[in-house]
Amino acid sequence: MILFATILIPLAFAGYVAARPAKEAKSIALVGTLAALAAAVYALTQFNWSESSQIQMRETVDWLRQLGGLGIQRGEVTEWQGGVALSVGVDSVALMLIALTALLGPICVLASYTAITERVKTYYVWLLVLQAAMTCVFASRDLVLFYIAFEFTLIPMWILINLYGSTNRRKAATKFFLYTFTGSIIALAGLVYVVWKVRGPTGVWTFDIGDLQKSAMIVLSSREQGWVLLALLCGFAVKVPLFPVHTWLPLAHTEAPTAGSVILAGVLLKLGTYALFRFAIPFVPAAAYEYAPAIAVVSIVGIVYAGLICWVQTDVKKLVAYSSVAHLGFCVLGLFAFNTTGVSGSVLYMINHGLSTGALFLLIGMMYERYHTRSMKEVGGLGSKMPVWSTFMVFFTMASVGLPGLNGFVSEFLCLIGTFQAGSWGRSPGGTGGNLGFWYAAVAGTGMIVAAMYLLYMVGKVVFGPLREPHGHHGHDEHASTLPADLTAREIGILVPLAALCLWLGVYPKPALDALKAPSAQVAETVKAGRQAAADFGKPPPPPRVLPAIQ
Amino acid sequence: MTELATTVWQGLAAAGLGAAEGWGVPPAVPGPMWIGLIPALPLLAVVLCTLCAIFKVKSKLPAWLTVGCLAASFVVTLLMYLNMSGSPMLSTAFTWIDVSWGSERSPRNLHANFGFYIDSLTCLWMLFVTGLATLIALYASEYMSHDVGKGYSRFFAAFSLFVFSMACLVMADNLILLYLGWEGVGLCSYLLIGYFYKKPSAVAAAKKAFIMNRIGDLGLALGIFLIFVKFGTVEYAKLFADGAFKEMLGHAMTGTSESWAKIPWDVKLIPILLMVGAFGKSAQFPLYVWLPDAMEGPTPVSALIHAATMVTAGVFLIARTYAVFQLSPSALTIVAIIGTVTALLAATIGMAQFDIKRIMAYSTVSQLGYMFAGLGVMTSVGACFHVFTHAFFKALLFLACGAVMHGFAGQLDLRKLSGVGKMPGWRIVGITMLVGCLNLAGFPLLAGFWSKDMILAQAFITPGMGLVGWVLLLTAGLTAYYTFRVYFRVFVGPQEHHPGDEAHGHDDHDAHGHGGHGHDDHGHAKADHKHEAHDFHPHPPGWAINLVLVVLAAASFAIIPLTFMGKHGGWVGDMVSHSSAAWSAPGEHHDDHAGHSHAAGDTHSHAGESSRSHDEEKLGTFLGMDPHAVMYYVSGVVGLIGIGVAYRLHLQGRTSAATSRADALLPMLGPIPKWAQNKWYVDEFYHFLFVRPLWVLSHIFHLIDRMLVDGLVNLAGILPRALGATIRPSQSGQLHGYAVAMAGGIGVLLLIVLLVAR
Repeated sequence: MILFATILIPLAFAGYVAARPAKEAKSIALVGTLAALAAAVYALTQFNWSESSQIQMRETVDWLRQLGGLGIQRGEVTEWQGGVALSVGVDSVALMLIALTALLGPICVLASYTAITERVKTYYVWLLVLQAAMTCVFASRDLVLFYIAFEFTLIPMWILINLYGSTNRRKAATKFFLYTFTGSIIALAGLVYVVWKVRGPTGVWTFDIGDLQKSAMIVLSSREQGWVLLALLCGFAVKVPLFPVHTWLPLAHTEAPTAGSVILAGVLLKLGTYALFRFAIPFVPAAAYEYAPAIAVVSIVGIVYAGLICWVQTDVKKLVAYSSVAHLGFCVLGLFAFNTTGVSGSVLYMINHGLSTGALFLLIGMMYERYHTRSMKEVGGLGSKMPVWSTFMVFFTMASVGLPGLNGFVSEFLCLIGTFQAGSWGRSPGGTGGNLGFWYAAVAGTGMIVAAMYLLYMVGKVVFGPLREPHGHHGHDEHASTLPADLTAREIGILVPLAALCLWLGVYPKPALDALKAPSAQVAETVKAGRQAAADFGKPPPPPRVLPAIQ
Repeated sequence: MTELATTVWQGLAAAGLGAAEGWGVPPAVPGPMWIGLIPALPLLAVVLCTLCAIFKVKSKLPAWLTVGCLAASFVVTLLMYLNMSGSPMLSTAFTWIDVSWGSERSPRNLHANFGFYIDSLTCLWMLFVTGLATLIALYASEYMSHDVGKGYSRFFAAFSLFVFSMACLVMADNLILLYLGWEGVGLCSYLLIGYFYKKPSAVAAAKKAFIMNRIGDLGLALGIFLIFVKFGTVEYAKLFADGAFKEMLGHAMTGTSESWAKIPWDVKLIPILLMVGAFGKSAQFPLYVWLPDAMEGPTPVSALIHAATMVTAGVFLIARTYAVFQLSPSALTIVAIIGTVTALLAATIGMAQFDIKRIMAYSTVSQLGYMFAGLGVMTSVGACFHVFTHAFFKALLFLACGAVMHGFAGQLDLRKLSGVGKMPGWRIVGITMLVGCLNLAGFPLLAGFWSKDMILAQAFITPGMGLVGWVLLLTAGLTAYYTFRVYFRVFVGPQEHHPGDEAHGHDDHDAHGHGGHGHDDHGHAKADHKHEAHDFHPHPPGWAINLVLVVLAAASFAIIPLTFMGKHGGWVGDMVSHSSAAWSAPGEHHDDHAGHSHAAGDTHSHAGESSRSHDEEKLGTFLGMDPHAVMYYVSGVVGLIGIGVAYRLHLQGRTSAATSRADALLPMLGPIPKWAQNKWYVDEFYHFLFVRPLWVLSHIFHLIDRMLVDGLVNLAGILPRALGATIRPSQSGQLHGYAVAMAGGIGVLLLIVLLVAR
């Protein structure tokens, strides 16, 4: 029940916010997100971490079983095979991402306290709905439920950008919506094709993700796998976003309100990498392996290309937005190394990027609330004026740069070493085999240098140097007069948990790595099995496929 | 280069440096947990200083907390040193990174502890790191006093964090923790160079240092990856005990081309990658340009980080993984050549500078080049010994220059100061500066003389490295010259001084200028400046600065006897030869010259004893003489010549601060002095060759992203609308139009059916 609770609590509170007067909205939203966080923390304690790759906390509620399912009457009850169900369950990867979502919830609400002054109710309603939808994406074990939630996240996000963004918000919102939606439709085609191929000889359609993962790689020829992979990439790579389908991101990030950017960077992008992890690789492992070099090249191009673009930005928010493209390149690269090191690093990267980039967007939002500009030409040298803010800025920049001792390092290092290992190293004890290797890691590694270039350029402009404030800005202008020059207790309170997590995951990542070990190893196993299946495809008469009973 | 390397190796093989005796680290034993206090105490200081910053402490409390913690850390280091046994000690605080995979039969894992590997090399480094850090923190308590209540806590927090990171770097039991320390010191260097963060030049210098270091770090990271992939571990103890590793080491020591062929090419690549990291951190050519700029930081920082400790991390890395460097026939040769080139290049630039702190910076680069050359010519003892002596006298030199800078309102131009040593209150600075200069110049019998000498002699001995030796010898002369150019110009001669541009209403207000000033009182301070410039009074150092200078000067004498302790290479030699950096250098079985004077009889090293007779001719000589025997005299004379030239040109007959006899000589050299003063335009060259193109490329990418990548998307977005607009007229609502369209459609369908059906 606890997983349903993490989804339904924000939804219920969204309804409550809608029912109450606007001035209570933010308090109710805060309570709601905190309740969801409590539920998520409870889920963390209930999870059996020693079997972290097992799907746990399964809950299934019959929904549209008739849709392709087969009902067997057993007395009073009907037992269903296949069909669509409200089915949830998590392994450690999904659970950690749910926890990240739940953590960012109250942070986003608190970050909007002073920034959102108009149409407050609508704002918090959709913020809570969005959180429910994102949690549902990670928790769902039914493909239809997943896809509905995956697509549904677009609507609250579209509203948040469209109504609460800055000047160019309409264009950004529309572009964000259409771009990701178009991609997702193609991904849907791919998913439907997989489901269609997998449907048993009995004609039962199953949408259970676990069943699909077991059967898909057997029933698809490598040619089909290639096409399915392409279709899935159309949807998921746009979401990640990988080069060259990333251009919606800088615009959406720049225009979105602070909380929107935090959610976008923190969670929404992870829907893409999570879907690659959950669907693309297990469904079509042979094709994923075969095209890993191409995907790796695209990721690496993204790392360097987006990094260099960051370096010439004047809009600080756009800079951080582009840095997401570069960072997620590392994440995808590690994932497609298909070894324990790389995949652990990649999943950890999803969490870490959410923390550090989320925090950077929060900080930029705090600056924006005070100066109403994001241009580094107009504002800078805030070190003397906002020492607390500056300290956090330097801290999270260093986390983002991948400084050892902070969280970014562990995941980036593991992604790179995973990529490095996945080469033809023969019998070398540290190699894992694969079709990436030295040069992929070496070129991607230049991203570490580029990251230092653009992030230190940003810090050098915004934090250091002589104080620059927008023309005519004296202290603070009328609009933001409620805010003091430096951070308030509320703002510090938002940042401290994130900073503590960054430090913890950097100094003692062992619990997280232990939890990710089994799912990562499973990816490696799946790819191995999938390549074997592809090699055997069509050779012997396929054994009769029996769908496992619904749990 | 390969030929040269082969010569070295053949020489080595001929010298009979057997594989068995040449290198071997005893298996590690568990060590006590309290070793962890060495990094933990500086970390405590970081926390305390942060608390001071949060509670806005307006006293010198952060400094005393730092000095206390660092001194305690030094004491623990001493205890650690006294507890050393023959075997390296391992002490684990907790597991840091651990990922495992593989089957049960062949389990594999990537394991990195937050753990410490303590051997004598670690002790050597930690002793001078914690010792000097304590002294320099004490110095900084006075030097930074004008920032009390402002950046004071921040300074000492970063300072302590540096010591913590350096301890992690040096004490790490695996390469990933070393990498943590490696980047950690880089961060602290960044924060401290950029301490005066309102000064754009300081911010730029900090950024440059970090990015230059990152270039090196990439090499280091790839080297670590490669070590991991090839040997399955990143832990020193496991690596050094690894069967495959030892086997390859055996091949390397056999030294024939067949045995070299048995070492895979990617293993030979490891040292090349590691050395890139070392070049970045230790400011070697071509990655040295950040170090002179790093002088924007407060002087205690320059002394500790950019002279004594952090920049020696590259030497430490190579010394720690010295065995790995033996796996490539060319790696150490490259190290030697790069080191030599750097030594000479930096010395030539140093000769033409006028900013005394920059001169010291270039001299650091140059001396680091010596250390690398020492490693390259196979005397890890000499290199580490030079690191050790250099740490003391270079810290001393920087701190003395810092005292001048502090007292004369930021004045560092040697044309604007003269006779400082004779001014009242400045005697101690003058004398200690002289001690430092004599050491750096390699004045006979001082610490710097012995260590430099060891490298020079070995360069002449190691086969194929003669040219390296000659260049280093020339550099020794240049070093003596530029060092005493500073001394003779600034500290002796007629008394004269002009305050720096940081002179304000009260002379200790805010050295480093625009640093601490708020927006508003800026103009006010500028106005003050002109008014006060006449009656500027230098501000002689107080007790803390003087005490630290005296202690360091005394220490640079105190370490001289260490040269004669132990068997070969003195105390440092003993320390190094019982660590992973141990390597019998060619010809070491000759009387090791450092031990020469007192124990000529028993300095044969074990390795060479048996084969002493037949290898003499293979080893290099100095003009036919045994380098160990004559190098003292040669290098002593070269140093004295350098000092003499400096005396003749910069002190004799000089009447003012601004001019000297050297000025008359300059036109004879044509544009060369100007080029040297402009650092041979290396910065401009890099800017032109790398920074600018990259910047242009970034803009092109940005343009492509907006126009092409996003443009196509926008086009795709416009297309449906455009399509709609084109076919809209057809939806006219007139019946016959639809009828015609329908008929046409059916016709086309029929056609398709017909074609397909046929």
